[in-house]
Amino acid sequence: MKRSLSSRLSAWLVNISIAMTALRTNLMRSILTTLGVMIGVFAVTLAVGVGSGAQVSVLESINSLGSNMALVFPQPDGEGGRRSFERGRLTTRDARAIEREIDGVTDIAPQLRVSITLVASGNSTSTSAIGATPAYGRVSNVAAEQGRFITDADVRTAARVVVLGTSTAESMFGDYNPVGESLRINRIPFKVIGVLESKGSSFGNDNDDIAIMPLSTVRQRFVGDTLAGPDDLHILFVGFQDGVQLSTAKREMTDLLRDRYKVRGRDGNPFTIRTTEEFIEETGQVTGIFQTVLVAIASISLLVGGIGIMNIMLVSVTERTREIGLRMALGAKKSDIRNQFLVEAAVLCVIGGAMGLLLAIAAGRVLTAYADFPVPIGLGVSIGAIIFSALVGLVFGGWPAVRASRLSPIEALRTE
Amino acid sequence: MSHPLVATTNLVKTYELGGETIHAVDGVSLTIDNGEFVAIMGASGSGKSTFMNMIGCLDVPTSGNVEIDGIPTSDMSGDDLADLRNRKIGFVFQQFNLLARTTAVDNVAVPLIYAGKSGEERRDLATQKLIAMGLGDRLVNSPAKLSGGQQQRVAIARALVTEPLMLLADEPTGALDTRTSEDIMQIFQQLNDDGITVIVVTHEDEIADHAKRKIMFRDGKVIEDAPVTNRRFAKAQEEGQEVPA
Ligand SMILES: Nc1ncnc2c1ncn2[C@@H]1O[C@H](COP(=O)(O)OP(=O)(O)OP(=O)(O)O)[C@@H](O)[C@H]1O
Ligand SMILES: [Mg+2]
Repeated sequence: MKRSLSSRLSAWLVNISIAMTALRTNLMRSILTTLGVMIGVFAVTLAVGVGSGAQVSVLESINSLGSNMALVFPQPDGEGGRRSFERGRLTTRDARAIEREIDGVTDIAPQLRVSITLVASGNSTSTSAIGATPAYGRVSNVAAEQGRFITDADVRTAARVVVLGTSTAESMFGDYNPVGESLRINRIPFKVIGVLESKGSSFGNDNDDIAIMPLSTVRQRFVGDTLAGPDDLHILFVGFQDGVQLSTAKREMTDLLRDRYKVRGRDGNPFTIRTTEEFIEETGQVTGIFQTVLVAIASISLLVGGIGIMNIMLVSVTERTREIGLRMALGAKKSDIRNQFLVEAAVLCVIGGAMGLLLAIAAGRVLTAYADFPVPIGLGVSIGAIIFSALVGLVFGGWPAVRASRLSPIEALRTE
Repeated sequence: MSHPLVATTNLVKTYELGGETIHAVDGVSLTIDNGEFVAIMGASGSGKSTFMNMIGCLDVPTSGNVEIDGIPTSDMSGDDLADLRNRKIGFVFQQFNLLARTTAVDNVAVPLIYAGKSGEERRDLATQKLIAMGLGDRLVNSPAKLSGGQQQRVAIARALVTEPLMLLADEPTGALDTRTSEDIMQIFQQLNDDGITVIVVTHEDEIADHAKRKIMFRDGKVIEDAPVTNRRFAKAQEEGQEVPA
């Protein structure tokens, strides 16, 4: 006898109402079992949320670096070949060549990096300093909040001026506005011309613990002969227009620099190029792994919840053996009995899952509000959590349900 | 009707119990035609229930065959047997076997779920049968709020709701007092008059005398199979009680 679609649907509705009756009959037991699933779904959902939150904050800090950018380091890229470079090379002339010959370049920001000690009116602090040109401000999205940033004139004259990050400014001058103040950097007198906008911190690293000086000043007074050549750089930021394909730009830059350093065939390069695109991709992988690990750990609690479901369904099947026998006598097929118990397990799990989801959303809100850590739990994750809960019910309720469906009608009916 | 409703040939059911073989049913061949009212009798342990369960397709014979309505059942799958029970056989049990915490209507409607009927059809048919059983004012009572006789009438309504060819009742009055037993037997007689084949297991002569034919079991074998000579006719006990039309 074929059953129509509507009667199938109504059979499922019947199963849900049978399940609700059964769950109400053993209310306390149902609640306790549901609790296990609730905790499991809560843990998994929160783990997914925290994982996505980590992803969001990492991407935010990459974007704060400047969105469309390549970083060039004078570091041998370690590739093989017959010849490889002992020491990396990167010069201002390379930077100019990139600006001239690569399409879509908006800015080049050549830099030197040094550690310095600042001293002023009895205060002293150490920080890292960047020797930069005005382009650095544009490429890295940094600007002076008080005073001004480095200018072309500062670079041209190798002026002894410094722009401080807010943390550095505070440890030197406290709340007092330092613009116009004098201080000594590695014993050389400098003048503070500005304080940077705060960039907060990422991963315990204070982005405001910094000092910026003109590139030429740093070259003349601090790096000395540590470089391979008088024109060499520690790092070069290359800013690109929006829409420029960074992988293509990277290839073009690589070809250009290889040409300039006469690297041939499969020989290694004396420089390394990284793009923000690559960073985003890599951190995506890392946070993906982080999220996976988190979810895997959380899944253990869901597994425990699922085992609870299986246990209670086995009890339920045993308790209701006579009912199963009766239903079989009245015409229930194997699949009818199986579905009845599957639905019961799924209903249990979905109720637990919904509660767990609500709890996770609440916990996410609290974390976002009080720990300043975004825990996005969107519609997709919510729907996923509910579907997943139902699946837990089907998986862990599956065996008890199949067992119930395999009972012999007469044996089941005879059970006391 | 060219074929009998129930035909058994050499029906055997044995149980192995501690190395001993119990012949619960031991080579029974008989036929029951449409419209018969059969009482199966015998001492406790004589194999009545085992026989009933096999012709009701609830139990599988060790050997021999059961044909229902001309169809051999030995090669049928469990699901096919479920379907056959659903459409052709109604069961009435000694302990009523109603679902607790479930209304009379929903209890009666259970077989219709498995017949694939819609919710509305189930409600209508179940209500109709309950009214026919004189329970029109007890439709939404749960079994706990019904007397034994009323519960058994709900169970009969449930057995009838798919319009089966036969009613199998294993000691249907075993849990009821004499008066109520009479009520139930009156219903069976009425149903039988309307054309349904009724097979009742009992060990009370007064109950068996309501039937038209008596089959006696002893040690798994039929020792006597004869028409009832002095048939009893149950009278309506309650004033104004409805009987199935
Ligand atoms: N599942 C079983 N396992 C073992 N032996 C069984 C089983 N079912 C029935 N028997 C045995 O089969 C024989 C027939 O049992 P059956 O239940 O058919 O008797 P009955 O005539 O219905 O008795 P009663 O009047 O007491 O209900 C008995 O000896 C019984 O012990
Ligand atoms: Mg018996």
